[in-house]
Amino acid sequence: MKLQLLRLFRHEYKKRKKKTALITFAIGWGALSLLIMMAFGQGLSNQFRVGFEGLGVDLIMFSGGRSSQAYQGLPKGRVIRLYAQDVDMLRQYIPEIKQIGPESIVGGEITYKDKETNRTIHGVSASFQYMRSMYAQVGGRFINPDDEKYSRRVVFIGWKMAEQFFGKENPIGTRIDINRQPFTIIGIMKKKLQTGNYSGFDYDDVYVPFSTLSQVNSQKYIDMIHIQPIKRDLSKMVTQKVKEILGKKYRFDPKDEYALFSLDTIDASQQANKVFFGIEIFLAAMGALTLFIAAVGVTNLMYAVVKERTREIGVKMALGAKRRHVVFQFLLEALFIFLKGTFWGTLVAFDIVSLVREIPYNYEITNVGGYLLRPVFSVDILITFIIIMSIMVFFSGIFPALRASRLNPVDALRYE
Amino acid sequence: MIDMRNIKKTYQTGSISFEALKGIFVKIEKGEFISIMGPSGSGKSTLMNIIGCLDTSTEGSYYLEGQNVAGLTFDQLSTVRNRKIGFVFQNFNLLPYATTFENVELPMLYDGIKASARKERVAELLNMVGLYEWRKHRPTELSGGQQQRVAIARSLAMDPPILLADEPTGNLDSKSGEDIMKLFTRLWQDGRTILMVTHDNRIASYSQRTVHLLDGVVEN
Repeated sequence: MKLQLLRLFRHEYKKRKKKTALITFAIGWGALSLLIMMAFGQGLSNQFRVGFEGLGVDLIMFSGGRSSQAYQGLPKGRVIRLYAQDVDMLRQYIPEIKQIGPESIVGGEITYKDKETNRTIHGVSASFQYMRSMYAQVGGRFINPDDEKYSRRVVFIGWKMAEQFFGKENPIGTRIDINRQPFTIIGIMKKKLQTGNYSGFDYDDVYVPFSTLSQVNSQKYIDMIHIQPIKRDLSKMVTQKVKEILGKKYRFDPKDEYALFSLDTIDASQQANKVFFGIEIFLAAMGALTLFIAAVGVTNLMYAVVKERTREIGVKMALGAKRRHVVFQFLLEALFIFLKGTFWGTLVAFDIVSLVREIPYNYEITNVGGYLLRPVFSVDILITFIIIMSIMVFFSGIFPALRASRLNPVDALRYE
Repeated sequence: MIDMRNIKKTYQTGSISFEALKGIFVKIEKGEFISIMGPSGSGKSTLMNIIGCLDTSTEGSYYLEGQNVAGLTFDQLSTVRNRKIGFVFQNFNLLPYATTFENVELPMLYDGIKASARKERVAELLNMVGLYEWRKHRPTELSGGQQQRVAIARSLAMDPPILLADEPTGNLDSKSGEDIMKLFTRLWQDGRTILMVTHDNRIASYSQRTVHLLDGVVEN
C-alpha cells in the first residue's frame, strides 16, 4: 500500500516542481553548509591532533628545575639536575614505561663547505624516533641503537635545516662539521605538523646519538628525559612515580612542581581534544542554523501546499483516508524536498572537500593551511548529519501535516 | 439500514446559532433508491453529510447497519466511510494528477488491500462502467460523463452497501446525465441502496421515493 501511495505522491510532487525549486536550493545550501562546517571542524581538530603528535606520541617529558620548598633540612632554591644514569634507574623501577630516553641540548656551529650556521644540537637515543615522531624521509634513517652503542659520528637533520643548507641537493652521506667535529648525515626528518615545542621546532635542529654528544660535549647532566608509558591512561601514574623516585634520589618534595618540570602531552592533548570538540560542535551548530532557515521555508511551503490542496484532502477523507494517511502524505512530501536538496548539497560538499584537500600546504607552524586545508568526512559526521536532517524533516513537515489531517472533511470538500 | 431519529444540527457562529436540521426522522431499508429534494438552505447537504459520516449531528441518534455512529472517532468514521459508503460528487472530485486506474484504486489503498486484488477489482469496475481502455488517462482527458463514471467506479471500489450521490448530474449535459442515471438504476437493481440529492424532478423520477426537506424538517 505504501508503495502505491508513493507512486501517487510522485505525481502530486511533479506538478509543483517549479514552486519547490527555490526551496530545494535552500535545503541544498543548508545541507552543504552543515556538511562543510562539520568537515572543516573535524579536519581542524584532526590536524591539531597530528600536530600534537608532531611533538610527541603519548609522551611525558621531564626536565630538572629549581626546588621551591625546603625539604628534609635542605633549603629551597637548589638546582636539580638530571643525569644519564637516572634513565636506567627509572626504567628499572617503573615497569609501566614502554620507552624512555635521555636528551642533551647544546648550541653548536655547523659548517659545510663555505656555509656556516648556528643550530641546536640534540643528543638523543634511538627510541626518540617513536616518542617524538622523528621519521626519516625516503633514503635515510634515524639514529639506531648501534649508533648509540658505538658513539658513531652520525647526524639526523630537520627538513627545514636541510632545505636551507643543501637546497635541492641530497645531503645523505655528506660530511658536515658540528663544532669542528666531522659527522655524516644519515637522514632527513620527514615533514610533520608540530604545534608544541620546548627548544625550537624540530625542523630547524640536528640530532646526534646521545653517547656521541656526551663525548664531544663537556656537559655532564642531561636536559630532558622522555618517557612513553605502555598505556595512555597510565601517564599520571608514571609521572607520579618518576617524581617520587627522583625526589628520593635528589631530595626534593615530589609535590614541588618547580623542582622537576613535567609536561604530559597525553593530558594536554586530552584537554585540547575537549576544546576542539567544542569547536566542532560550534561549527556544526552554525551549519545547522543555515539549514534551519531552509527548513522554515519548507514549513511555509508545506502550509501553502496544504491550503492549495484542501479540497483534495477532503476527497481523500471522504474515501476513507485516516488522519495518519494524510500526515504521512505531507511528511513524505517534506522528506522529498529535503532529499532532493540534500542530494545536491551533499554532492557539492564532497566536491569542495576533495578539492580543498588537493591544495598543498607547508608544514611550518606559522602557516594556517596545515590546519585549515584538511577538511574530512567521517562516519560520525554522516551520522550527525542524518540525525540533524531527520529532525529537520520531521519538524518542518509535521505541523503542516497535522493541520491537514485535522481539517474538517465537510469544510475541506466545500473549499474552493 | 439507515435509521435516524430526531437528528438535529446546530451551527454556532459567534453568538449566532443556526439550526440547519430541526429533528429529522429517516428510515431507509436495504435496496431502496431514494431522492432527497429541497430548496437551497433546506438542510439537504447537511443531512447528506451526516448520513455520509462526514459530519456528526448535534443531537439525535443515527444507526448505520445497526451501528451507532455517534461517538466514533475520526479514524473510525474514516473506516465507516471507506467500507460502507460510496460518494459520488457533483463535480466528480477526481485526483487530477492520478490516472483513471489510480483514482479508482485509491479507496482500496486506505484499507490496505493487496495489489493483485486491487488490480482485479479496478479492472472489473472499469469494465462495468465501460472505461477500461481509458485506465491510463488522466481526468482532464475525459469528458464530464466519463469522469462521473470513473467517480462511480471509485465509489464502488470497496463494494459499499450505500451510495451517496450529491447532484450527480448537476454538471453534465442531459444525455450524459441520462447515462449516469441508467447506471445508477442498474446498480440499484443489483441490490445497492442509493441516496441521491437533486433538485431536478426528472432525475428524481428515477428513484423509488423522494424525501422532501424544507427548513430543516422532512415534509410530508
